[in-house]
Amino acid sequence: MLTQAVRFGVIVFPGSNCDSDCHHVISRVLGQKAVYVWHKETCLDGLDCVVLPGGFSYGDYLRTGAIARFSPVMDAVADFAARGGLVLGICNGFQILLEAGLLPGAMLRNRCLQFRCHWTHVRVDNAGTPFTRLCRPGQVLRIPIAHAEGNWTAPPGVLEDLERRGRVVLRYVDRDGRATPEANPNGSLGSVAGIVNEGGNVLGLMPHPERCAEELLGSTDGRLIFESVVAHVRELRAAGGEGR
Amino acid sequence: MNQPPRKLHEGKAKIVWEAPAGPEGPRCLVEFKDEATAFDGRKRGRIGGKGRVCNLLSAVFFELLEREGVPTHYLGTPSDREMLVRRVDIIPVEVVVRNVAAGSLAKRLGLEEGTPLPRPVLELYYKSDPLGDPMVNRHHVRAMGWASDEEMDRVEALALRVNEVLGRALERCNLRLIDFKLEFGRAPDGSVLLADEISPDTCRFWDVATGERLDKDRFRRDLGGVEEAYEEVLRRVTEAAETWKAERGTCTSGHRPGRARVHVTLKKTVLDPQGQAVLGSLRTMGYAEVRDVRVGKLIILELDDVAPERVEEMCRRLLANPVIEDFTVEIEDDCPSPRKEGAC
Repeated sequence: MLTQAVRFGVIVFPGSNCDSDCHHVISRVLGQKAVYVWHKETCLDGLDCVVLPGGFSYGDYLRTGAIARFSPVMDAVADFAARGGLVLGICNGFQILLEAGLLPGAMLRNRCLQFRCHWTHVRVDNAGTPFTRLCRPGQVLRIPIAHAEGNWTAPPGVLEDLERRGRVVLRYVDRDGRATPEANPNGSLGSVAGIVNEGGNVLGLMPHPERCAEELLGSTDGRLIFESVVAHVRELRAAGGEGR
Repeated sequence: MNQPPRKLHEGKAKIVWEAPAGPEGPRCLVEFKDEATAFDGRKRGRIGGKGRVCNLLSAVFFELLEREGVPTHYLGTPSDREMLVRRVDIIPVEVVVRNVAAGSLAKRLGLEEGTPLPRPVLELYYKSDPLGDPMVNRHHVRAMGWASDEEMDRVEALALRVNEVLGRALERCNLRLIDFKLEFGRAPDGSVLLADEISPDTCRFWDVATGERLDKDRFRRDLGGVEEAYEEVLRRVTEAAETWKAERGTCTSGHRPGRARVHVTLKKTVLDPQGQAVLGSLRTMGYAEVRDVRVGKLIILELDDVAPERVEEMCRRLLANPVIEDFTVEIEDDCPSPRKEGAC
């Protein structure tokens, strides 16, 4: 049981394009089990973690993530999350989680109105989540972004509430860990790059950890996110949990 | 009457007279004749009582269609042979809708007459007696400038709606709507109205049980009993029309067709980066009076059944994101109120 691979399900929406990258990192780099889950599936049984990958689901029509959110699989994802399952939404996956109401707030177009595709630095403001437990508190990770709508916003009071509860997990910072306006690539409120839900088991982030999990690609910081999940699941198993 | 009415047009089956303008704008009086022609005027004859039947039948159909949300030129019938209508600029494109293969379609495609078509087929013909009404398509209409694309979209949508409404209503008279021809016109305000007539002259009606033809084919093909067939259709339809009228305002389908125009904009409290960029551009161009710009979306929903609360629900659930966006909904009901009484 303990040595059994951690099982990741990578959801594939029409228009997802980072699904293979996630699958590659999980299976080849980490040596865990990854399966693709077509968006019409309604069963996520047997999975430890569900990944909503980046891309342009449904062509980003209407609003990013707005249509994918009504895919059949999303009911199952909501259910999975409600039962404590780990859900990791990357980029478009984050946008879908917002539209689905699994995370608070909404995405606006980047303040600069440009599609931004470059390396960023993000600071780990909560190293206690299942997705960041292998990071040091305040550690600065080098992870690339690639999006046009990552300008996270929320009604007044929401950001403060999230901050109080440690739910702002990642923030855009400069290389020295300072959250300056210049280091914020999209204008997001509070320089937010990633947040978790109340239960801490659903993480949405705009940067792409799957694009920086191998030396060849210039950074391995992204591995920490996936490896944290593996460590978390292993610990649960050791404690006799259900493997979630 | 200060002056004798002026004849505006005389065609094969009708004479159009100028009529005094009414509250709805310019009007005409259409006189229905008994003269019958077929095959582009190569066959001529007379069908006793035809003018009366075509006028009264058209009136019943136009009233039904108006109740079902199809705008028509019809205003009333001052006499058995006369129809008062809104004066329109006729679009020179005749629209034929077919449900069952018959006549020229059967011949053209080598289908046996009576073969049901899996879905309604819509055909366009250029209205020209000298040319014998040649068949055309949307490209011809566009190239010749007979109607705009928007007008043709509307014409086609209305023609298919007419097909639905008439087909359903006639079924209740044991009549099968095989095919029919429609003409549309432009009102002074630019809107598209159903015009001309709807009668055994312009439709094929077959008896549901016997398959007997109760339309102009009896004249075209010398089947006899032409007058009787026309009278029979009028009898069945006027009988049923009482029931249709009782259902007025509710639409015979039980649905109220229409559309919703949904405007989605970012909330006032949310910074609109697109709006700011457009604002900057306008100011650079010298439009200093522009104080603020919000860029939004317009979403138009064509609805078979208008229910404002359901549209709101659609907005909340999908069309707008309540966290960052506001929306407004404008509803257009295709069959709003019962016909005003005493139009004529």
